[in-house]
Amino acid sequence: MSAYLNTRVSLYSGRLWQPADFDAVLKTPDEEMAAALSSRGLDQLAAGYSFDSQDNRSLEQRLIAEVLEETKVLIRPLTGAARGFLIYWTGRIEITNVKTLLRGKMTGERPATLINRLTPMGSFGSLDIQDLAHAEDVSELLRRLEAGPYAGIVRHARRAFEDSHDPFILDAALDRGYYEGLAHRAQPLENEAGDSFRRLMGALIDRINLVWLLRYRFNYNLPPAQVYFLLVASRYSLPSSRLRELAALGSPEAILDALPEPLRASLRGAPDIPGIFSRMEIAAAEVAAKVLHSGAPAIARAFAYLILRERDLRAVRAILRGRHLKLPVADIRLAMYRSSEEGNA
Amino acid sequence: MFRAEPLVRIRLHMLASEAPDAALELARFGIFSPAQYASEALTESPAEAYREAWLEAESRVSKLLERCGNMGEMVIPEGAAAPTLADLEELNKWLKGVWNTCLSAHEGEARIQEEVRHLDALEETLGKLERLNVDLAHLLREDGLLAVNIGSLPAQNVRRVGEALTMTGSLVSTFDQVGDQAYAVIAGPRDRQEEVRGVLSQAGWRELPVPQELRTHPQAARAWLAEERKRVEELNVAGCAAMDTLRGQYRSGLDEARLRVTLGRPLAEAAVAGVRGRGGLAGLSGWIPRRRVEELKAALEARFHGRYWLDVKIPTREEAGQVPSLVSYPGWLKPFVPLVKSYGVPRYGEFDPTLPFAFTYLLLFGAMFGDIGHGAIILVLAAALFRKLGRMAWIGVAAGAVSMLFGLLYGSIFGYEDVIEPVWLSPLHNPIHVLTVAVGFGVGFIVLTLLVNTRNKYTAGHVEEALFDSTGLAGLLFYLGAVGGVVSMAGGADLATPSWMLAGIGITIVALYKWIETRAGLGERILVTAIESLETGINLFANTLSFMRVAAFSLNHVALALAVFTLANGLDTAGHWITITLGNVVIIVLEGGIVAIQALRLMYYEGFSRFFSGDGTEFVPLKLAGVK
Repeated sequence: MSAYLNTRVSLYSGRLWQPADFDAVLKTPDEEMAAALSSRGLDQLAAGYSFDSQDNRSLEQRLIAEVLEETKVLIRPLTGAARGFLIYWTGRIEITNVKTLLRGKMTGERPATLINRLTPMGSFGSLDIQDLAHAEDVSELLRRLEAGPYAGIVRHARRAFEDSHDPFILDAALDRGYYEGLAHRAQPLENEAGDSFRRLMGALIDRINLVWLLRYRFNYNLPPAQVYFLLVASRYSLPSSRLRELAALGSPEAILDALPEPLRASLRGAPDIPGIFSRMEIAAAEVAAKVLHSGAPAIARAFAYLILRERDLRAVRAILRGRHLKLPVADIRLAMYRSSEEGNA
Repeated sequence: MFRAEPLVRIRLHMLASEAPDAALELARFGIFSPAQYASEALTESPAEAYREAWLEAESRVSKLLERCGNMGEMVIPEGAAAPTLADLEELNKWLKGVWNTCLSAHEGEARIQEEVRHLDALEETLGKLERLNVDLAHLLREDGLLAVNIGSLPAQNVRRVGEALTMTGSLVSTFDQVGDQAYAVIAGPRDRQEEVRGVLSQAGWRELPVPQELRTHPQAARAWLAEERKRVEELNVAGCAAMDTLRGQYRSGLDEARLRVTLGRPLAEAAVAGVRGRGGLAGLSGWIPRRRVEELKAALEARFHGRYWLDVKIPTREEAGQVPSLVSYPGWLKPFVPLVKSYGVPRYGEFDPTLPFAFTYLLLFGAMFGDIGHGAIILVLAAALFRKLGRMAWIGVAAGAVSMLFGLLYGSIFGYEDVIEPVWLSPLHNPIHVLTVAVGFGVGFIVLTLLVNTRNKYTAGHVEEALFDSTGLAGLLFYLGAVGGVVSMAGGADLATPSWMLAGIGITIVALYKWIETRAGLGERILVTAIESLETGINLFANTLSFMRVAAFSLNHVALALAVFTLANGLDTAGHWITITLGNVVIIVLEGGIVAIQALRLMYYEGFSRFFSGDGTEFVPLKLAGVK
């Protein structure tokens, strides 16, 4: 089975975009855009492409459909923890749907409008969207969610929300709960698939923790103890003990100075939190590319491919949105790097 | 019974305001299957808002009925009209109000239950605190420096909270765990209490109110707890009474709401396929049986008095792929329908194989598992499980009866071959004969499938395929010729020359057809033609031999019984009969199961795959209830 998966990942890796592909698409005239996307392996995106009616929602949905379709093929030969991990990896899209539902209920949106805004999960969907969308308010929605597959994540979020009625608390609890679950599912694979898988997870969790830490601490001005509690329990370059020390520091500069090498060197001079995220994301993509083109176990290569593919698609989204808004090419290029942030943080 | 009923496509246009009633009328008609309505003139989708409002109302009614318990059977009055969009909007407002009232009562119930659980936990905690030997009055007293919290939090968060709170100079000490909740004391500097609160609010912390009595006199706390329980019980009784009042108050309204939602369902369901409209006009499309067109016209006339326009169109051959299949089966054949549909739904116009499937499946099962005793047990068991298995039990009853019939023909009862004389033959003593009959049956079966496929292709307009392809008439010529040739070689007939000539003509036609059909270069064309012609011969040969398993399993049945007897004969009387009984159970369960699957496999792969596309669409009629 791993031979099949390895072959499949190798074939898929040919779909990843090179810098020249992004340049070419940036210069492609609108009438040739569908053909250009199709020739670069984005059939679903090409099928619905229309310059005049580029609504963000449909663009997002088609990009995600592309990723889910490929994930479906990749999990076919997998069983056990590896299969569970990749399926759970798609769960963050569903968590986004949960957040959309919660916000929709807070603003009293109608069920049909709300359902249209959700991202279709296809065979990966585990929520009864119709049922949830027809909940009368946030409390009822949370109680219904508690009876579903995300009960563990939602239960604590509900209790916290009932005490404070602060949407930030809900979002933070959902995000933390999801990534804690991901790290938990990754543990057996790190033992089996070894260092390559661990490096991929490390790059992901360290990035999330550092960006959240900076954001909670200095944008939201939360006290250090609360910031630390909201981070994901980590066993990578920034373990929990180090995160505790960092959360107690008083400025972003002090935190960057206290980072371990080589992280400190790579982030030196980063202008702001998005800048830090971009640099860490580029470093994570480099790690993923190395794993993808190495003789690493099939599950590690498959995960690396999915990370890189999503990064490509987010950049494509930035290009299409930018062109639709008639932004200058330089701004689109900037957005291509910044857009990465929307995906993971 | 052998093919789907002829259908016509109807397009019904009416005033948009009457669309709900039109859909209701079609649902009452009972045999209208909605279909997509493509129209350049009607560009709007007027039923979408209706469906949206209906879904909201349906969701609320379902939730309310869940809490109200059994409301009894619903009676739909003869002339009841469907709700309009405005009716549904109004209904939604009312239902929302009722739901919010019920929800607050229900939440009240939930809160009372939570309080009961909390008191239970408090009582347990009280016992533990008494044993802690701690001066609680001292611990919990208001102090300028130290703040103490006692409460519970999810056990999985304890470690993380402990680590986070060390950053505030606080200590966390757990002293109990009930389920997934850990009970803990948290103590730390009062000036950092805000930070502690921030962490605890994220961690699912629940403060445990320790009554003043507990701080001074534990015995008094017991009395306080008893008082609290009494108060909660009173609240509970009041809450239940309030819920009962609400049920009584809203019962008739809910009954009316349930009726309206049911009457609105047809248009909401038809909206999924697509109801089109423009301005004050609406149109919906779908399929009905040709023989009932006049009946529908009369029903519409009676309801709308000419305020409608009905377009009826017979589907063309090109449209056949879009037409759903509506087949009526007699009651005794219905149990076999799911077995056929698990392979596929017959395409409109395609031969429906359910009847031959039922007979052939039973015949194959009986031939492979012929035993009076085993058949009788299957028959009795299936009849006994009728309530549980429903209609499917009839398959077991019929299979048991056919097994008994073949048992009579084979002279076999519970594996004993010498108790009764075989009416026909004993497989054990005539294996070659049985094998020959099985292969002969296979030849007949394959000829039948080729004929049916020829007919299917012809009626679908694929005349060339019907005449010249390997699964059409040319393939049949080849097969019959080859069978005649082989039989002549074996000395069963004297038709070798004409048979092989017939086979030669058949395979030549097939090869020429493949040659013409293949659009490729010369080399690839030669290769494809050669391989596919060869494959025709190999497939038909292998499929025919596949039927030898029918004989093999009838022999296997006897062989298994012999093995059981050999084992039993080596034991004393009690052991003998225990082995015979258990052996027969094993034969029925194990061999019976295998034979049931093998018969199905023969039907699917040697039969259906040759002529049955199974890619049709099921006819799903619009109904008043039960269709989601």
